[in-house]
Amino acid sequence: MKEIDCRGLACPQPVLTTKKALEESPQGKLMVIVDNLAARDNVERFAQSQGASVSVEKKGNDFYLTIEKGGTCDLASSPQKAEKVVVYINSNLMGVGDEALGTTLMRSFLHVLSEMETRPSTLVFINSGVRLTTEGSMVLEDLEALSKKGVIILSCGTCLDFYGLKEKLKVGVISNMYDIAKTLFEADRLIRP
Amino acid sequence: MPYVVILFPSTHYAIRAEKMAKGSGFTVKLIPVPRHLSSDCGVCLRCSSDQKEPLECLLQQEGIKIEGIHFLSD
Repeated sequence: MKEIDCRGLACPQPVLTTKKALEESPQGKLMVIVDNLAARDNVERFAQSQGASVSVEKKGNDFYLTIEKGGTCDLASSPQKAEKVVVYINSNLMGVGDEALGTTLMRSFLHVLSEMETRPSTLVFINSGVRLTTEGSMVLEDLEALSKKGVIILSCGTCLDFYGLKEKLKVGVISNMYDIAKTLFEADRLIRP
Repeated sequence: MPYVVILFPSTHYAIRAEKMAKGSGFTVKLIPVPRHLSSDCGVCLRCSSDQKEPLECLLQQEGIKIEGIHFLSD
């Protein structure tokens, strides 16, 4: 296994060195040694973003990261170029029809979304959709899980205000139509459940 | 934490069961039926396994039909 000693290197050198090594041995296994927490986290995150699996071992003050490339993922098509998928939720209900059913379906949808491996980049909540991001919502747990995984959650400020929910936002951030319109336009794919 | 999921013969039962369980102070969650249990697009009730017995009791008392209970190794 190729070994790369990044001890004593300042940020962002460890990540850059790791990137270069991964590009040179796209299938291989790699050992990266760092001597601080920030470098450990940065290298780990970078490797994971490249579809590699990482295991960390602490030896004394150093961290030994074993990085193993997943077979099919190639560097060129990875994270920076990741497809932007936006989920546009313009109602607290999924589909048109019975309200109890619509509520149930929306809850199911968001639950599944929170467990899926492919994640959207952003969720946009509009109109009565903001009932889902505010106090009393039954999907807060799932939305928080998504938020923790890095999914951006935007709630329309006008809508929160209209429904008197501005003080009751529980997950994500208050947004405005500029950001929302921009998000929708820049999406590679838009999902409307 | 070990979970169980309770399956019902219809969505209506599942929605009613959730309402009753929550009304009686149970911590439950309505989720889609896990794929390995059924290919139907149904919903079921998930709860921690320690709530299984009392919840089952309650639902039976309330006349809610249960189709099956499965343990999840989550």
